Amino acid sequence: MTQNLNPISWGAQDRYQAHFIVKTHQRDVSEENFLARPKLETKGYFASKRVTGVQWIGGTLADTLNSDAELKNMITRLSYADAHITVEPTKGNIRIYGKWKDSYNFVMTKELFAVYDRIASHIKRELGSPPVQS
Amino acid sequence: MHDSESDMSHPMNKNEEYCLSLKKIGIDAETKPLDTDVVEQENYYSKHFTNSPAMVTNHGIIKLKGSNIDEVQIIQKG
Repeated sequence: MTQNLNPISWGAQDRYQAHFIVKTHQRDVSEENFLARPKLETKGYFASKRVTGVQWIGGTLADTLNSDAELKNMITRLSYADAHITVEPTKGNIRIYGKWKDSYNFVMTKELFAVYDRIASHIKRELGSPPVQS
Repeated sequence: MHDSESDMSHPMNKNEEYCLSLKKIGIDAETKPLDTDVVEQENYYSKHFTNSPAMVTNHGIIKLKGSNIDEVQIIQKG
């Protein structure tokens, strides 16, 4: 019997993700409008890679996020890995999440939370709810 | 000579661990018991993006107060 040199990993892996959820409260929302992902402009390579610009791609939410200059500023201050943010609607909720992280790096920072909270405030405005001032 | 490390271990759920990291940065967060929220019953990805994982493990919900985010769900790959 020969050993498989490329075994397929299975079972729970050391990869975690936190989904930051904004509830739509059963409003009938168009899923495509709330899809958004940033295209990052970067400078440098490997560990010194930094985000210099952000262009959101997606539905109408992406246009709103593109018009927020302060949000773009906040994202350029994040690490390259943290700047990969996805906004994805599922049934009844809109989820904001980043890349998978291992258990050692799976913590939230003040700067990243501020970015998620600002994106969530734009989502609330688009849903017709007043955003919370924090 | 005694080791400075305690012999007692305190196993902590990933959900509680993340909730603590949120509290450390000043967020009003509280964990909910597993499988008590409707969010946990739905699909965690919309499948609009091709790299969504096929299998994930739910670690529970954290309820946030005073923020635009209503809840946080902790998910593990596989």
